Amino acid sequence: MSTLQTRERGRTATPPLAPPAKRDRGSRIRTALWTGLLALPAVAFFVVFAYLPMAGLVVAFKEFNIADGVFGSPWNGLDNFRYFFSSGEASRILLNTLLLNTLFLAATLAAGITLALMLNEIRGRFFKRVAQSTIFFPYFVSPIVISIILQVLLAGVGGSGGAVNDALGGLGLPTVSWYTEPGPWPWILTIVKVWQMGGYMSVIFLAAITAIPDEVYEAGMIDGASRAQMAWRITVPLLRPTAAVLLVLGVGRIFYGDFGTIYAIVGDNGTLFPTTDVIDTYVFRALRELGDFGTTAAVGLFQSVVGFVLVVTAVLIQRRYAKESSIL
Amino acid sequence: MKTRRRLEPFTVVSIIGVSFFMVLCVIPFWMIISGSFTDESKLASTGYSFLPQPFSTAAYKMIFTGPAVLDAYFASVFITLVGTALSLAFTSGIAWVIARRLPLISRPLAVLAYIPMLFSGGLVPLYLLVTQYLHLQNSYFAVILPLLVAPFLVFIQVSAFRQLPEAILESARIDGAGEMRIFFRIALPLSKPILAVIGLFYAVHYWNEWFTALLFISDVHRYPLPLVLQNLISNVTFAQTLPNTGESAPVYQLRLALTAVTIGPILLAYPFAQRYFVKGITLGATKG
Repeated sequence: MSTLQTRERGRTATPPLAPPAKRDRGSRIRTALWTGLLALPAVAFFVVFAYLPMAGLVVAFKEFNIADGVFGSPWNGLDNFRYFFSSGEASRILLNTLLLNTLFLAATLAAGITLALMLNEIRGRFFKRVAQSTIFFPYFVSPIVISIILQVLLAGVGGSGGAVNDALGGLGLPTVSWYTEPGPWPWILTIVKVWQMGGYMSVIFLAAITAIPDEVYEAGMIDGASRAQMAWRITVPLLRPTAAVLLVLGVGRIFYGDFGTIYAIVGDNGTLFPTTDVIDTYVFRALRELGDFGTTAAVGLFQSVVGFVLVVTAVLIQRRYAKESSIL
Repeated sequence: MKTRRRLEPFTVVSIIGVSFFMVLCVIPFWMIISGSFTDESKLASTGYSFLPQPFSTAAYKMIFTGPAVLDAYFASVFITLVGTALSLAFTSGIAWVIARRLPLISRPLAVLAYIPMLFSGGLVPLYLLVTQYLHLQNSYFAVILPLLVAPFLVFIQVSAFRQLPEAILESARIDGAGEMRIFFRIALPLSKPILAVIGLFYAVHYWNEWFTALLFISDVHRYPLPLVLQNLISNVTFAQTLPNTGESAPVYQLRLALTAVTIGPILLAYPFAQRYFVKGITLGATKG
């Protein structure tokens, strides 16, 4: 209704050839609503696939059954949360999630900065371009492909050998049955993450390096700094804002277990769960095997809330100490 | 022009370091491709090979003679093409409206798109939505729809739209072009490079997507490529559903060949894609 009214008002109030700068409020609103139609499909998407599921989180407080549906099922208060936190698995899963994601974040940031600094040293344009393309490539590959690569390296294709064990054997070291040994997996997954994201991260930092004015380095050169000193004393400190932004974004995701990669690699291999089971893989498994919607929704809600609190905290801290690089 | 520098220790370390990382990035793919051309008997005994010897194309013959992998290819191509086209349309639509800073609607839309980055309903409500309410099981759209608009890419697109020269838009307005015409005839054509960037992000995402497929697609004939691969890893018997040329299927070789086939299109699109990707993430990183 109001759409029609504003449209009407706009039409009468705008002289046909008025210069756009002088258009009045009514006409501006008419333009806004008309243009706004372009956003409709995306709005529909967000409402259905982002906001409806948020409403669907009430399942976390319900004894869910399919017959009664999301909103008809009986309430059961905090039982679902109690069940999860008393299951004995909660602490392990939360700890794994935090530990793995912290490792991933620290390692990929460090690798990104290091690679960017090194790439920045390389003068040959051709070599530099080839290098960048090569180290960026793993980013494009599906987690499933990564998981197959890992099998080739660690277990061999036919379940015997494996390149890494052969190399260990060649060095006279004992071989490891990787897929039955949970201990090394946090490190293996971290290496995978660095391999996958190192090139991507380095591009971000390289872009930031390009933005540093040449004069800074010229000053360094006059003072007789070596290339290493310039990298360490000039480039690294100037990369801090970029690193801070990525850190804040990363901290916000720290409660999300990177399901794709971890589940593709570990799958349903229960022997590795002690060190690799994270919230997302737990939720997925519980949903699939137990069909326990209530508890898994409770875990998901817990994850979302903690994640939200972490992002907000990170952003607030960053605003306070590094305002110039704030993302909000 | 910069003068040529003396080769300093740090430069040497850098060249070695980068080369080392490059080798690490290439070797796994080489092993996959080489292994996919290696005869099953050799694979079963050593597990991998750096040189395809004895050379064999048995796995590729199997892949391309039967319908299973072609079905999967079709599924992946459909999901990628349709998904990317829809994603681009949806994303640029909302991004344009946000970028225009229009009264009453631009800000609320930005908030609407921003909140899902911070907080999400999670897996369970999404699962219930798709299976109980939308009934999209076994439809390619179950894979496409939940990924349709990525808030992060919306904001990259917004900042790109804001860089369009205002004068051009204004002169179109003076010439009497309507808002829709300005968007379709001027804003979009001028934004081709950024559309390529966003499109590539979406395309790679759809091509590699397997999680939603795993959740919502149970019909083997509708599996996209990554899911077929995942099945080949997790259960060897799945290989038997592929067309059998004779006695026993070369399972291990088949895995590697299928992996190579999955990477193939990315490898082909890569030289083109990489340049744009760099532009995309650079934009996202510095304009944030």
